[in-house]
Amino acid sequence: MSDLDPVIGIDLGTTNSVVATVRDGVPVVIPNRAGQLLTPSIVAIAKNGKRLVGALAKRQAITNAESTVYAAKRLIGRRWGSKEVEDARRALPYALVPGPEGNDVRVQLGGRALAISEISAMVLAELRADAEAWFGRPVRRAVITVPAYFNDGQRQSTKDAGLIAGLEVLRIINEPTSAALAYGFGKQMEKKVVVFDLGGGTFDVSILDIGKSVYDVVAVGGDTYLGGEDFDRRVMDWLTFTFAKENGGIDLRQDKMALQRLRDGAEKAKCELSGSTAASIHLPFLVGGGDGKSALHLAKQLAREKLEELTKDLIDRCVAVTERTLKDAGVRAVQVGEVILVGGMTRMPRVQHAVRELFGKEPCKGVHPDEVVALGAAIQGHALTAPQPKGQEVLLLDVTPQNLGLMVVGGYFSTVIPKNTTVPTSQTHLFTTVQDNQTQVRIAVLQGESERAIDNELLGEFILDGIRPARRGEVSIEVSFDISADGIVGVSARDVVTGQEQSITVTATSGLTEEELRRILDEQRDDLLERKQSERDLGERRGQVLAIVREIEELVPAVTGALERTRFGKDAIQKAEGVLARVRAAVAAGDQAALQAEEESLERTLQLFKGLAATGRPPGR
Amino acid sequence: MGSGDRYSGFVFNPADLSEDVDVDVERRREILFADANLSRWTLWEVLGLPWNATADAAKAAYLDKVKVFHPDRYGGKRLGSYRGRLERVFRKLTEARDTLGDEPRRAAYARATAPADEFAKLEARKLEDDRRADERRARLSRQNPLLGRVARVAELVQRGKQAFLEGRFSQAANDLQVALTLDPKSVELASLVADARRKAGATRAADHYDRGVSAEVMGRSAAALAAFKEALEADPGNVRAAAAATRVALQLGDVAEARARAEAAVRAGPSIGLAHEALGMVLEAEGQRREAKKALERALELDPRLESAKERLKKLRWSFLG
Repeated sequence: MSDLDPVIGIDLGTTNSVVATVRDGVPVVIPNRAGQLLTPSIVAIAKNGKRLVGALAKRQAITNAESTVYAAKRLIGRRWGSKEVEDARRALPYALVPGPEGNDVRVQLGGRALAISEISAMVLAELRADAEAWFGRPVRRAVITVPAYFNDGQRQSTKDAGLIAGLEVLRIINEPTSAALAYGFGKQMEKKVVVFDLGGGTFDVSILDIGKSVYDVVAVGGDTYLGGEDFDRRVMDWLTFTFAKENGGIDLRQDKMALQRLRDGAEKAKCELSGSTAASIHLPFLVGGGDGKSALHLAKQLAREKLEELTKDLIDRCVAVTERTLKDAGVRAVQVGEVILVGGMTRMPRVQHAVRELFGKEPCKGVHPDEVVALGAAIQGHALTAPQPKGQEVLLLDVTPQNLGLMVVGGYFSTVIPKNTTVPTSQTHLFTTVQDNQTQVRIAVLQGESERAIDNELLGEFILDGIRPARRGEVSIEVSFDISADGIVGVSARDVVTGQEQSITVTATSGLTEEELRRILDEQRDDLLERKQSERDLGERRGQVLAIVREIEELVPAVTGALERTRFGKDAIQKAEGVLARVRAAVAAGDQAALQAEEESLERTLQLFKGLAATGRPPGR
Repeated sequence: MGSGDRYSGFVFNPADLSEDVDVDVERRREILFADANLSRWTLWEVLGLPWNATADAAKAAYLDKVKVFHPDRYGGKRLGSYRGRLERVFRKLTEARDTLGDEPRRAAYARATAPADEFAKLEARKLEDDRRADERRARLSRQNPLLGRVARVAELVQRGKQAFLEGRFSQAANDLQVALTLDPKSVELASLVADARRKAGATRAADHYDRGVSAEVMGRSAAALAAFKEALEADPGNVRAAAAATRVALQLGDVAEARARAEAAVRAGPSIGLAHEALGMVLEAEGQRREAKKALERALELDPRLESAKERLKKLRWSFLG
């Protein structure tokens, strides 16, 4: 099987992302090139113009807040002017601007306005590169997960991001379903399973019927704007509020660097409180005192009870969504055989307590909340590309999370495909002309749960063109709505009488236009060539540098004796050790710039050691 | 099993069978046959089930069928034109499961698709029941109680017990009853007879009840009522049948009949929600709303899962307001 192209599963998270694969029939997480399993979903343009992704981007976020993009998942596929985007604009330190059509959201970064898909693509490309380093060969195919509650626009944009990152996206699958797949992998079972997925930015709940190795999703529910970051924000708000009260009304939110440190401090304290009952938040020199006074420090104790009080309504919202979803599925809490917790936020004791209360049972402890989603995606990717051995066959039957429908007279929403319908699925709808010689019909396609069209997400407006002229009501157009296994919506139409296909024009979508996508992909190809070149350079340089390091290491025993007799000996050895450590770190991270910077001092150390070794040798040579 | 009879009369296109894809020939036949018949088949036929099969059967059949017809089950294989065929069949399977796995939708679909031969079967079954009853009577009269009494008793008891074990309760009741007339003092025999009779009655009642439900589904209320009554004759304590008879009688507008059935139901099962719901329906039909409400509330108290009673009560409360 090793001659086949590798397939990866990617959990593209709000805060962290994970990549996994199936090796020798076993799903495993692929560590990134720095050896970590989790890669922060953060992209930055550093002060020197370099693009940074992951831990490197996170590390410099405090000093470079305006050019560091995090939580892009919250914006993907969102419409400019929507409530979600307006909220984000107020809370995020980086600048958002509308796209060229005025529909979608762009991020102002490094002098360019980048689509959210492009930002996510940078994270995906990083994960892809990590996987390639791990496999030692190119990786082209992937399954990517999204929250179950993502709508068509959000799924399409995620797929676009994969495309931009040079990946063939085999399937977009839902995170909870993916988690259930990883949970059930290799086990024989027949039971109802609830996946409770509280991640960094989204909350999802899915109810599955697992039996005969078929993973049949019965119902999904969720809130795409409820996650760990909301918990962080509650802590931040509390900190800013008390800080202002204690320091004469200084508003920390005005200082982007302070805000970023506050965010880190809040997140750290929250995580700490999962294990202990109190955490201290200590941020020295947080903000200048104003009027030339000395800088102010923040030092606070946060008790677990206080955190629970601050976030009680968030947990209540999770419970309410779960109860509603159970009702949709026609499943009572006592019938549930297993509850799987996914997402870092489910480590919070209060969340686990709420789940225990609701289902009257202990949630499953057997899965790793951070890794399980990526593992499931890897399993699905494997199942889609390789014949499955007997007894390990899996089949996912997922559902569409929201009603798909049309706007009808009076601004109402008429459902064509109801939520929780198994995908892929299709439905047809008949339209007739309402005027004599009418040649056009305009159809607004929406997704959501409100009866009023305007409260739902507009997926697009379609214009049915070139209808044959006839008396009104004489032409019937059959429009088919299709939802693919990815949860992506397609629309096609045909004249019932003549059987002729009608052309459909999309007049409004969120995200990248087709033209833009093509341009980005073209650029990407150039980038790719460049990357290949620079990778080759990096490889060569790494080889040279490592040879020097080895040479120095071999000289160390001979040199140590000679150096210890000199005045500057100890100092020189320490310096040399520092140089070696920095070089090794740069090699491990594949950081070409750092390597280049160290090359000179490395060369100097080598010359010094060589000289010392020559003079330090016993006389008589 | 040869595929010849399964697909009899169906002509496969040789081009489809020889397409260069990674699907074996037997599987190709299965897919081509299903795809070609999709528009002709009823949703039950799509799932490979008989007409009016239960919702649970539909769900179970779906899980088995999707393993054959879901394109994802062919990971890493070239499917060519078969991908589209599989997708079409899968969508139809899903439609069938969604319709037939949901009780109200299944009932509506059953009414709309009831085939003519099912009506015929309904009639035929009644004739069959009569024929069997005649046979029983004839057999009884043939038996001579005066000869070889003891051996005869032993034989009858053995046969009766065997029949009992195999679930043929009427047969068992007959044999044991004859044995009891030959040996009237046996207490063990008497209790066996009573047991077999009760079971036989319940079985016959269940049979009649099913027939009644089929008739009701087909919109034949009169035939349904007759069947439910027969069920009650076989097993007077059958609350389910009494409640069903009440329902059908009300549909037929026979309130007096409905009332008698509902009262019988409550007598037979004073602690069964279904019986009180039936009474509630009658009272509502008679215009005694307050009493009807009480009965429905009692029904729900006894059995909180009675969705129909819940609905009825809700409507009743609303009409109080109006």
